[in-house]
Order: sequence, then structure tokens, then C-alpha cells
Amino acid sequence: METGSDIIKYKRLTRSGARSGFAAAFQTRTSLWLGPDHLLSVESTGYTENYKRFYFRDIQAIVVQGTRNYQALTGILSIFAVILILVTFFSMPNYPFAIFFGILAGVFLMFLSLNLIGGPTCKTFLRTAVQIEQLPPLGRVRKTRTVLKKIHPLIVAAQGGELSPEAISAGLREWSEPSSQPTASGTVEDDPNVPPRLMP
Amino acid sequence: MSSPLIQCPACRAWLMEGVFNQPEFTPCPACGLPLLTEVFPALFRKAGAVQSGQAVLVEGESSCFFHPQKKAVLPCDSCGRFMCALCDCTLHGQHLCPTCLEAGKTKGKIKSLENQRTRYDQIALSLAILPLLIFYFTLITAPMTLFIAIRYWNAPMSVVRTNKIRFILAILIAVLQIAGWTILFIFLATHHGNRVRHN
Repeated sequence: METGSDIIKYKRLTRSGARSGFAAAFQTRTSLWLGPDHLLSVESTGYTENYKRFYFRDIQAIVVQGTRNYQALTGILSIFAVILILVTFFSMPNYPFAIFFGILAGVFLMFLSLNLIGGPTCKTFLRTAVQIEQLPPLGRVRKTRTVLKKIHPLIVAAQGGELSPEAISAGLREWSEPSSQPTASGTVEDDPNVPPRLMP
Repeated sequence: MSSPLIQCPACRAWLMEGVFNQPEFTPCPACGLPLLTEVFPALFRKAGAVQSGQAVLVEGESSCFFHPQKKAVLPCDSCGRFMCALCDCTLHGQHLCPTCLEAGKTKGKIKSLENQRTRYDQIALSLAILPLLIFYFTLITAPMTLFIAIRYWNAPMSVVRTNKIRFILAILIAVLQIAGWTILFIFLATHHGNRVRHN
């Protein structure tokens, strides 16, 4: 049996990211780590850590969904920053007010810059045979692409090769054909997870 | 979940093969949200048949420790008990019986099955730093910090952060706090003693 001396060295893939949702953002932070044969998701409350391991051989798909949060956040932060800069400008004769609003404008400008540097936002989902798990740290497209570039070759190597478009078509066809039996209504009801489709 | 079809995370529409493994984002055919979908060979892998174990046919044949009516196929690599095909749990090339697997998980001997750890180093550090805001509390929390740091020094650390820097910092801060309180008490005691002597 394994012993305590079997320490796996992990390489950090992402910094901690919060799950979507205001309350959850303050309760738990999730980070992604790269192990020798798996991806480790560490959900931390500060005093406890929960681990989820996704073995490269089990990963079926990674779906990245672009979101509009980036544009929305950029718009909101820009509006606030502009308003605060104008207020600062007009309250110039009154120094304490000008300093206060100036600092506030600076804070908003800093968040705006961080948002612009981070780039477009997304949600990333990892699918295995038994689960679909959201990866909260992969919330920016640029970061997600960097991580995917790192883990893609490892997953492909663990599963014995890349899937070509032909292999995908063949796989989908092969999977749907064997038990496909037309029913009296002329539809195929081979799997409850798949919508019924008309037979040619 | 056994289906190799993938749904759009937003609208739950089934994605067609034209969306898979594209270098750039492709709009979802139903909701139009941009998607980048990478699929791997495991998506089309058929699940292997589960072996239920063969029944013992000949009297005196080795049987499974957990299922006496079933034929033993191999011993557990940890405890040596005979197991049938159903009880054989393969993990990192080792064949373990369900009892050893459970024991390994609960006692933390099998690292890859461990799914939670307590960060005693973080607790000790927080206990050393946070009470500084209302420093009277450090009179109680400094010894507590020392106790936690010493008691859990050898406890399993975080899986990903294995150094003891937080423990060391916590001990240093706690020792400084205790030293500060000791100096204060000595000063008060001597000061009070001097005042009594003068009077």
C-alpha cells in the first residue's frame, strides 16, 4: 500500500479563483494544480482544503463557454471611473473632497485596468464519464488557453492520441447505431439522454 | 452521462460534431454563445464489463474472504486475503480488497484517495496574527498557537503546499507575544515592588 512518504510534487496552474456567486466568492477559493498523471482542483476555505483529482485518462471533454461579464464589468467600471474623475475635477477647490474622490476614482481605475489586463471572461467545464465539473479558476479566456495548451498534450498522451474530425464522426455514429431501432412512430429511442430523432 | 453527446453549458442544447476541437470559439447552434469544446478519446471509450466473480464449483477450491461462495482469483496486496473478481479493487497497479481500500482512505495511507485536509499551519498562523488587532487576547492565544504548532507539527500538511513556513512564523510570533507579556509582567511587578518600598 502507499505510504505517507509518497509525496506528489504539484505544479501550480492557476491562482485561486472564486466560484460564481457573491457569497461563495468569500467562502471558498479554488486553484488548479498539475500532477504527474492528473489535474488537482483544490477548494480552500482557508482552514480546510478539499481535493478533486481528474486523471488525464478519464477526461472526456473540456468545454469553455464565453460569457459577457467582461463587457458588462468594463462598462460599469468605466462609468463609475469617469463619474468619479469628473466629481474630483469639479471638487478641486475643496481639497479633502477632491482627495477622497480622487482615491475612489483611482480604485475604480485600478479594477478597470485589472479587468482589461485579464481579458474576456469565460466559464470552463471539465467532463468525465461520471461528472461535469466547473473549474472556477479558469474564468478568463487567455488564462484558460494557456492552461489548455499545457494540459492538452498530457491528456492526449494519456489517452493514446488525438481525436481527428473523422474519428469524432465515426465515434458518434458508432455509438448511436448498434441499438438504434425505429419505433412504431418512426423515431429512434436508444438512449434517454439523447433527443429522439427521425430515421432517414 | 454515458452518452458521448455534449450539451451547451448555457442552453443545454446538444452540440454537433462541427463544434468539437475547433481552434477558435464557435457559436452554440442553439443559443449562439461562443464555445470552445475540446474532446478526447475517452469520450467514445466503452465502459468495461463489470466482473461479478465466478462461483466455487469444486469443493475445497479457494474462495473469496468476503464472498465464500465465489472463487478467489488473487490475494490482496495489502492484507493477503483471497478476493474474487468482484472484490478486486485495482489502484495504481495494486490489487486491494475493499477493507484495505477503505482503511487506506480513512487513515490517509492512500494519498490519491485523500480528499480533505485541515490546514493546522494556517490555523496556527491566524491564531498568532488576528488577535493582534485586540492585543489583550494574545495572552490566551499565544500559548494556544504554540500548542497547535507543536501538537500538529507532524500532521499531514496541505497536499500542494508542503513547507512549514506558516508553523515557523506562528511559533516566532507566539514566542514574541509571550516574551512581551513576560517582560510587561516583570516590569509591573518590579515597578509595583519599588513603589511599595518607597511608601
